Amino acid sequence: MSASKVSPSASGSDPPTTGHQESLLSAEEILAVIDSFKKQVALDRCVSIKKHMEENTQKVADVTKSLLKLSMERSNLKIIGADKSVDLLAKRQKDAIDMHNGIGTSNGDNDSSSSQEDGYGSSAILLGSSIAVKNAVRPITLPEVKKLPPYTTWIFLDRNQRMTEDQSVVGRRRIYYDQTGGEALICSDSEEEANDDEEEKKEFAEFEDYILRMTIKEVGLSDAALDLLAECLSRKSGEIKARYEDLVKSQNATFDVNNGNIDNFVNPYIDKDLDAALDSFDNLFCRRCLVFDCRLHGCSQDLIFHAEKQLPWSCPDVEKKPCGPNCYRQVIYEEKAAPASNNAAAMQIQKRKQGGLSVRNKSKSCPSESASSNAKDISESSDSEIKLINDVASSPKCTSTGKYGGNKRNSKRIAEHVLVAIRKKQKKIAASDSESVASGSLGSKDLNLQATQRENNGISSSQKLKSSSARKSSRKESLAPDSDKSLQGEAPSGASNEIESKQPVISSDDTLKKEEFIDESTYKQEITDDKCWKAFEKALYEKGLLIFGRNSCLIARNLMNGLKTCSEVFKYMHHSENKQFFRAGDGATFADAYLKADGSEIVGNAARRRSRFLRRKGRVRRLKYTWKSAGYHSIRKRISERKDQPCRQYNPCGCQSACGKECPCLVNGTCCEKYCGCPKSCKNRFRGCHCAKSQCRSRQCPCFAADRECDPDVCRNCWISCGDGTLGVPSQRGDNYECRNMKLLLKQQQRVLLGRSDVSGWGAFLKNNVGKHEYLGEYTGELISHREADKRGKIYDRENSSFLFNLNDQFVLDAYRKGDKLKFANHSPDPNCYAKVIMVAGDHRVGIFAKERICAGEELFYDYRYEPDRAPAWAKKPETSGAKREDGAPSTGRAKKHT
Amino acid sequence: MAKISLGSEPVVGSLTPSKKREYRVTNRLQEGKRPIYAVVFNFIDSRYFNVFATAGGNRVTVYQCLEGGVIAVLQSYIDEDKDESFYTVSWACNIDGTPFLVAGGLNGVIRVIDAGSEKIYKSFVGHGDSINEIKTQPLKPSLVVSASKDESVRLWNVHTGICILIFAGAGGHRNEVLSVDFHPSDMHRIASCGMDNTVKIWSMKEFWTYVEKSFTWTDLPSKFPTKYVQFPTFIASVHTNYVDCNRWIGDFLLSKSVDNEIVLWEPKMKEQSPGEGSVDILQKYPVPECDIWFIKFSCDFHYKAAAIGNREGKIYVWEIQSSPPVLISRLSHVQSKSAIRQTAMSFDGSTILCCCEDGTIWRWDVVASS
Repeated sequence: MSASKVSPSASGSDPPTTGHQESLLSAEEILAVIDSFKKQVALDRCVSIKKHMEENTQKVADVTKSLLKLSMERSNLKIIGADKSVDLLAKRQKDAIDMHNGIGTSNGDNDSSSSQEDGYGSSAILLGSSIAVKNAVRPITLPEVKKLPPYTTWIFLDRNQRMTEDQSVVGRRRIYYDQTGGEALICSDSEEEANDDEEEKKEFAEFEDYILRMTIKEVGLSDAALDLLAECLSRKSGEIKARYEDLVKSQNATFDVNNGNIDNFVNPYIDKDLDAALDSFDNLFCRRCLVFDCRLHGCSQDLIFHAEKQLPWSCPDVEKKPCGPNCYRQVIYEEKAAPASNNAAAMQIQKRKQGGLSVRNKSKSCPSESASSNAKDISESSDSEIKLINDVASSPKCTSTGKYGGNKRNSKRIAEHVLVAIRKKQKKIAASDSESVASGSLGSKDLNLQATQRENNGISSSQKLKSSSARKSSRKESLAPDSDKSLQGEAPSGASNEIESKQPVISSDDTLKKEEFIDESTYKQEITDDKCWKAFEKALYEKGLLIFGRNSCLIARNLMNGLKTCSEVFKYMHHSENKQFFRAGDGATFADAYLKADGSEIVGNAARRRSRFLRRKGRVRRLKYTWKSAGYHSIRKRISERKDQPCRQYNPCGCQSACGKECPCLVNGTCCEKYCGCPKSCKNRFRGCHCAKSQCRSRQCPCFAADRECDPDVCRNCWISCGDGTLGVPSQRGDNYECRNMKLLLKQQQRVLLGRSDVSGWGAFLKNNVGKHEYLGEYTGELISHREADKRGKIYDRENSSFLFNLNDQFVLDAYRKGDKLKFANHSPDPNCYAKVIMVAGDHRVGIFAKERICAGEELFYDYRYEPDRAPAWAKKPETSGAKREDGAPSTGRAKKHT
Repeated sequence: MAKISLGSEPVVGSLTPSKKREYRVTNRLQEGKRPIYAVVFNFIDSRYFNVFATAGGNRVTVYQCLEGGVIAVLQSYIDEDKDESFYTVSWACNIDGTPFLVAGGLNGVIRVIDAGSEKIYKSFVGHGDSINEIKTQPLKPSLVVSASKDESVRLWNVHTGICILIFAGAGGHRNEVLSVDFHPSDMHRIASCGMDNTVKIWSMKEFWTYVEKSFTWTDLPSKFPTKYVQFPTFIASVHTNYVDCNRWIGDFLLSKSVDNEIVLWEPKMKEQSPGEGSVDILQKYPVPECDIWFIKFSCDFHYKAAAIGNREGKIYVWEIQSSPPVLISRLSHVQSKSAIRQTAMSFDGSTILCCCEDGTIWRWDVVASS
């Protein structure tokens, strides 16, 4: 309702004041106000429609103008090209006009003879003119074209699909038009069902807001006004009130916005936390089919976390090289140059250090020696070149040394040490020693060196350094009291470290590196860095830790691409760990802290349930089945004569330990599958088979006997070879051992052709010869509930054409609009095929198999096994009628089109 | 249909005739005993603006309107299958401009007749059931769409005989499709409606390459990679019963159900989420006694007026673009008692034809006002 002015109405003459005066207005007056606004709204609506219409009229005029031009062009085009052939329509047209204009009086013979000469039959006849009708137009016969057997357009499905909500006919009124009777039948559900969806909350329309706002402005806010408004707008007064408050709020909000400048453009996705960002993953990704937006299992599945955790990704740490220009290693490398140029002495240090390092590396066997030499190196360099104030030079007590040395599993408890100086460079050199030793053992001296150099750049107060490093070291080595670390004290720790270092544990190596860098300066820096980390980036990082372990290179490359660089990740990694240490308290050992860190991450993740950000699109709600009003049971195809349905739908359980009595799978009577959360040792798991020679083709195979296909993930000897074997196939035991019970899984089906049935309507035919028990193809369709099937069946049965197939206790397959060509295979009491419901990777599917040898080109039949009391005449057991089926019985037409 | 609330009410036209124009019967002819379901003027080629075609029984007939109420029979085509019952016919043309008649009906076979040489040009077999309406793309008149009982709408190239697209599937109609129409200026858009009570707007923008490919296809038509368009861009529940006729009026849609009225509404699509959107019902044109289905209306070339018959043989002529709507005239004749299935308005609206259940065709001409 744009730009509409408030018309001063009767009661509007009272100036809108804020006092008690308004409440004095009588109900009639308020009503009058409301009415006037209503009229205003209605008027506005008319005006806006009119305006709208006029705009559209203009558009239409333009369109028709161009269309007219086109049709003119067409006629001109024709005239130009007309010479090549006679346009009979134009000719007849001309004849008619000529005749009509009176040339016809004498035309009789001339005209007809001329047209006969043309060989184009007679000319036009005129109706309703004074001229007598000469001769009728000779009709031109359109040769008959054989029409197709009737079918409804259907979509090919190569796997079953669960019905989407909007396809449900439950609770909808449907009208079935019976062509033979010429009448329409309403197939609707009982009233109470039909009303279900009407209850959705009505939004407040623009005009309602308008009336609300203006009325209250006019008559003031009072209960009477609200009540009357509610009545007029047919809403609850509470609703009205709430809405009014909203309106006032939003008005103020817009006011604020107008006053203040809010111009932040923020990437919406950066703002969210990872849960929100991952929401679509959790809700749309199917963990069974490994696809997004799985049509079979639907969206918003329960998240199942496997009890058995996967170890973090570990790749052989060849990755000693920088992963990119922003790798933390690279940073070190580059920075090395800077101090060098600034300070000529740095070069020397470097050189010397290199020397020292090499010595050290060589002399690993005698750690003490190298350590001492190293220490000397450092102290030397620091003393001479960079005038440092050496507090604790070369003392083993030096906290920083202790820390680094210890952590680094530097076998030689590095006695050296370092000056805690105002400039930390020195200290870092010391650290570098230890590091270089550690990584030196891994073989890349250079890098270590760089790392060392880089550390030199860090700046922090010596005090802080001391204290923090002291604490850290104490935590890391509970063995060694930091303040008075004795040589003996360190020795054991060093030794133990050495042992550790021999194990090629990459993750420990990573940790190690991290520790090296812990130092006050970086820490401080990180505090500021930390602020730049968005919640969602942090969460992403945590995920990265889970997947890749402590490898900043991999995390940055795979998860934080474009967001954070490797070195940023690296720093953050340190920082977050530090925090954890602090939190853990002084007494905690390093290992403990570590564990805790890990643990909390895992817990944090597991605790995350499906988030509330459900995407509306494609969301599938689990249907609840009420069996009331299910008096009608539609006819469905089945695989067995029995009434009960032995197959039960499998839903993965989320048990985190071996399944107990309350496991949903057990309760439901299904086996646990590989998709369940329970560990492999669960007693309720289906174990698969161990068949080898039998190829899983007989009931001796436990899988086959249980109407299941073998699963390469579960069965011991059933595997799939791919390609020509050059890619490393599992050791072959000869082709004859290949499992033959995975045809549905592998889609090893026969070519089926669709054609006119010899019996009735459409039929399915086989392209090639097949042997007995050969798998032919799958009967696919929409998975619908039994309740839905009954509703749909009402109309299918009336049309005498049903594609419903009972699958299990929860679902019926409907191939009416979606399916496979096999849906057209006809019924026969003496068929050449049979259908079987098979469990394939947790899902029930219908396979059609050959009952006998079938030759190429034969039509396929199988027994629909309708329930005897409901089966249509053509499917009744006594062989009265042969194999007849869904005959659409096209009738005499729509002579009576009626509602 | 959602309850219409204050502030979004449509403007309803008054049934008092404005007498702006008056029509009188100038001719009446009986084509046979079987009902005639379709009558349509040729708007494709300006030479044939006065030529129209009818479809009924197994017969398609071409006529010409002459002055003084005279109707000339030009051509007549009879399907060999006596059981065939044509429900719809549309004018189209070949790429070289040859006039084509495209007809379909009960058998589900689309007949493309070359009216220039009076021969069958092609027959399209493919629809799984009867065909309820065929329409021609006015900008590219070798493209036609067909609406069928098999719940699909198909796009054909009459020149090459190719079925280019099938509009059906996951988001398709859930019952017979009764009517379909091309958007007059946006070649990619069509609207279809049917027995599932919905009107669906489809876009073939993403599939336009296939449309172009169909013109240059030289292989067998059956080898053409026909595509399914499964999701409409808009689904409107304007009516609560069968929707049996819809037409674009610019960007608005005119549609009717069995509720004794034609509704003009605007689809308000949401760019972001296809399939969703709202309907703004702008105007309503009451048509009394029009409560059976398969009654179709038609407009003149400029969409100024629409004519619709009713169950009792009367015709209502509405000025559709004015607001509020104006009833131009109400046509009735003592002998016209049979249900009128379809009307046709001539280029300028001066002639109105109607075809009836009892097999008659009536011609009404405007009376020159003094």
